[in-house]
Amino acid sequence: MTNTPSSSAMSATLAAPAAGGPWGLFGRRKSASKPPEETDAKRVQFNSRLLPYLFLAPQMAIIFVFFYWPSVQAIHSSFYLEDPFGFGSTFVGLANYTDVLKSGEYLGIARFTAVFTALVTFFSLAIGLLLAVKADGVIRGNATYKTLLIWVYAIAPPVAGLMGMMMFDQHIGPLVKFAAFFGWDLKVGLNYNDTAFAMIVVSVWKQIPYNFIFFLSGLQGIPVSVREAALMDCRSGFRRFWTVILPLLAPTAFFLLIINTTYALFDTFGVIDVMVKDKAANNPITLVYKVYMDGFRGNDLGGSSAQSVILMIIVFVLTIFQFRFIERRVHYN
Amino acid sequence: MHRTKLFDHVILMMGVFFMVGPLLVALMTSSHEAADIHRNGLQILPGGHFIDTYTTVLTKQGGFTGKITGLRMMMNSLILGIGFAAGKIILSMLAAYALVYFRFRFATITFWMIFTTLLLPLEVRILPSYEVMNTLKLTNTYTGLIVPLLASATGTFYFRQFFKSIPDELLEAARIDGAGPFKFFIDVIVPLSKTMIAAIFIIMFVYGWNQYLWPTLMTTDESFFTLVRGIKQILLVWVGSNIPDYNEAFALAILAMVPPVMIVMIFQRWFIKGLTESDK
Amino acid sequence: MIRKFTMTGLALVFSATSSFAATNISWWHGMAGRNGEVINEIATKFNASQTACALTPVSKGTYEEALASGIAAFRSGEQPNILQVFDAGAATIINAKGAVIPAEDLINNAGYTFDREAFIDGVRYFYADSDGKFVGMPFNSSAPIMYINDEALKKAGVEAPKTWEEFEAAAPKLKAAGFIPLVQSQLTWQFTENFFSRNNIQFATNNNGYDSVTDTQLKVTDPNLIMMFDKLKAWADEGYFAFYGAGWNDNQKMFEENKAALWIGSSGSFGGLQKTAQMPFSATFLPYWGSIKGAGTSSFIGGAALFAMAGKPEAENKCVADFFQFLTSPEIQVFYHKATGYVAITKAAYELAKKEGYYNEKPVAEVGIQQLMLPAGEWSKGYRLGFYPQIREIMEREYGRIFAGEVSVKDAFDTIEKEGNELLARFAKTAG
Repeated sequence: MTNTPSSSAMSATLAAPAAGGPWGLFGRRKSASKPPEETDAKRVQFNSRLLPYLFLAPQMAIIFVFFYWPSVQAIHSSFYLEDPFGFGSTFVGLANYTDVLKSGEYLGIARFTAVFTALVTFFSLAIGLLLAVKADGVIRGNATYKTLLIWVYAIAPPVAGLMGMMMFDQHIGPLVKFAAFFGWDLKVGLNYNDTAFAMIVVSVWKQIPYNFIFFLSGLQGIPVSVREAALMDCRSGFRRFWTVILPLLAPTAFFLLIINTTYALFDTFGVIDVMVKDKAANNPITLVYKVYMDGFRGNDLGGSSAQSVILMIIVFVLTIFQFRFIERRVHYN
Repeated sequence: MHRTKLFDHVILMMGVFFMVGPLLVALMTSSHEAADIHRNGLQILPGGHFIDTYTTVLTKQGGFTGKITGLRMMMNSLILGIGFAAGKIILSMLAAYALVYFRFRFATITFWMIFTTLLLPLEVRILPSYEVMNTLKLTNTYTGLIVPLLASATGTFYFRQFFKSIPDELLEAARIDGAGPFKFFIDVIVPLSKTMIAAIFIIMFVYGWNQYLWPTLMTTDESFFTLVRGIKQILLVWVGSNIPDYNEAFALAILAMVPPVMIVMIFQRWFIKGLTESDK
Repeated sequence: MIRKFTMTGLALVFSATSSFAATNISWWHGMAGRNGEVINEIATKFNASQTACALTPVSKGTYEEALASGIAAFRSGEQPNILQVFDAGAATIINAKGAVIPAEDLINNAGYTFDREAFIDGVRYFYADSDGKFVGMPFNSSAPIMYINDEALKKAGVEAPKTWEEFEAAAPKLKAAGFIPLVQSQLTWQFTENFFSRNNIQFATNNNGYDSVTDTQLKVTDPNLIMMFDKLKAWADEGYFAFYGAGWNDNQKMFEENKAALWIGSSGSFGGLQKTAQMPFSATFLPYWGSIKGAGTSSFIGGAALFAMAGKPEAENKCVADFFQFLTSPEIQVFYHKATGYVAITKAAYELAKKEGYYNEKPVAEVGIQQLMLPAGEWSKGYRLGFYPQIREIMEREYGRIFAGEVSVKDAFDTIEKEGNELLARFAKTAG
């Protein structure tokens, strides 16, 4: 993929900043043959029978009570059809699962979720990268741009949704007027695709700063010597970016890919909840929202739990897939 | 060369406009009268009601008990943000320390048990979680608001990663000096992790402050409402058929974002450093 | 355990007389804005009127969220004393035997005499069981009515339509006068449920679901209902009707801004409308089809009712009964009626408001009650359908698709009936 001699060595060192995240375990794996567990611990360690458990106890206790206990309950109730008030429940085997998977509506939501996740991830990564590259390039105003561009990181998803709702309001929304200027009759809340468009814009907007920060730091971590060498190697800025800079950013991008996928799948809940204004109607929604809608709003515990379990499986498969294929290509091409 | 720079600035300006524009509109709109906004839509110029709108929002006693003001909600949000961030840092530093610096039997399985929590966000297991909270009688308490959110392992992974980047020589040297695990943790690890702690604190504070669904579910007592939960109330104004107090809605939205934005901006340097250079 | 609670409760009641230690009761509701404030005012009035009980209302978000929170809390024994449940959620709570104490029993047990006859006809059946016993206490009650932009009609030279046929005749003139002839705010409530009530057509089998949950099926592929939506779609295409999505306010706004001539809203809307409408307006009944035999009956009651949750100590239940009595007193009813625009639910309150001359001053406020007091038809008493909030969601989705041109009216109702019946079957299994 790359013809610059220094880049393969660089990618190893640059894997480091990318590994800053929770997924760093895998990002740091430098040889495919080494299982992750072995890199986990230090060569030098304390030997104590009791202490490690003591240090782990608070975290494990909380995880057990507030993660495993409810999760097991969710799995359990996915096999039952339960009266909302808890007066009784009937074991129905896999019926909740087959009901869900046979439902055309559910599959439609799954399809939308996939498209939504792909688009949000792609655009927030692309725009974040573009802005990072440009901010890295300019000298004057660098700090100001940086500050102004990362603001939005701190905004809560529902607040972002509120912003989006007013910008796309059918009656007073400036973006609707702007679209009308180009002859686009934007009907958010009415037209499925228009609403999807608005949700994607808001979700991307909210996520750009995060990607921007990571890409910018990744770029600034590239030593001057490498840049100078690259500058001599290829004159075209665009080609230089593709062949030298981008491969160096690949580990960062991989880390961000996972973070952004999880963001689009789950953290956009607040955006969607606010933007559908409490009425999903024929507006697009994601799978997580459907879990909430059926379970909490619709009081269908069994069906909703089955959906939770399906989501668990999807996320699990997706994670494994990302580690096995994408990460390998990033590191060992 | 000069032209490309100009082009770069144009792109950056557009980016800034895209990112910041909506916030300015919200800020400006919040300084107008509700009726004015209702009639004329969003505003891009400041109106004359900035101070009275914000005073109302901060001090007006909402709800039945009259206990809930904007200030009170802000305080609750702060408690949630700080409590969550502090709890997360303590829990995850201890756990990560155990995982990295100790050899013990169930290390691998423990690691995977912690890792699994990243797969399933609270939204997905919201109902069973709520029932667990009820069983433990933790609804309408700060503990109930904060602790369940700690059951995710993001922080542990950040710290684990960071600890692994600390050179092994340090531990060797400490052992030669006869330092035990506690001493090493307090005297070496904690000081070394300062930047990392700051960064995680900011990330977690923002995360805690921004919680939405959980506080909505957990708090039936108005005196525990947070600002972001207040957004729900704003939303109802839009949905329902009453006259929306647009100005107060926007003011509350602005208030909900000011503290996390300020923290991110003021501690920008640490934040970015901690986030991205945890291996240095 | 229960005995112990009762003893504590009794102890509280006794001590209340001597030391003013009141019994605390809670009320979860789904109202916000001005309506939420009025609830607080009522609670304050109740607390001031006596010393034995102290009522605390809490807003739990929307109607749907209030119901969901109440159920989730009930499962773990943390339920409030009073839960507000909206019309569409009534079946969920009424079918859960043992979750609530029927309002009638609660009030009788507390030593009062419950008089069904005191309530206006329109509210008597909706929250009652099939024998007519009140399970829920009707609270905020509304009817879908038609608001009229007086100037628009004058300009177009037409009278307010009583039937959809009359509307059809007037629509071109209203359009020519520069107005959108018709907007509405909730297709499910106004054009589906109350299409059945106003036109006196059966909504679901098993006596609209009252008789049994088993095998209850929707009858939404009724040719008349399909005709209504075919008309709406045709009107939308010709510019006689405009649809702005499932959001209530997005649709109401066109009327407020003097752009629409007629708006189907709620009888409870007029308080807010008085402040936001930019032109004089009046109101009349929700139109029906003159061509349908027996049409023109009263509408279903909309809004929500209060339910006394089971599993609470006696002393608290007594307080809830006290509060229900307080709530249905003519003075409080009239106060609530005036403050919110929701209709008064007792005959005495209606008479009192009339005597005070309120309707001379605000004729619009009377339209909702009058519509609820129209002669009832066989199918205008109510419906009792499980998982109905989700069925409404299906309807909203399909209606959106109709007006986006993605699906034909016939196909949309086929889908609603199919998916709706699946939900009803699921509900029958959970309830059975």
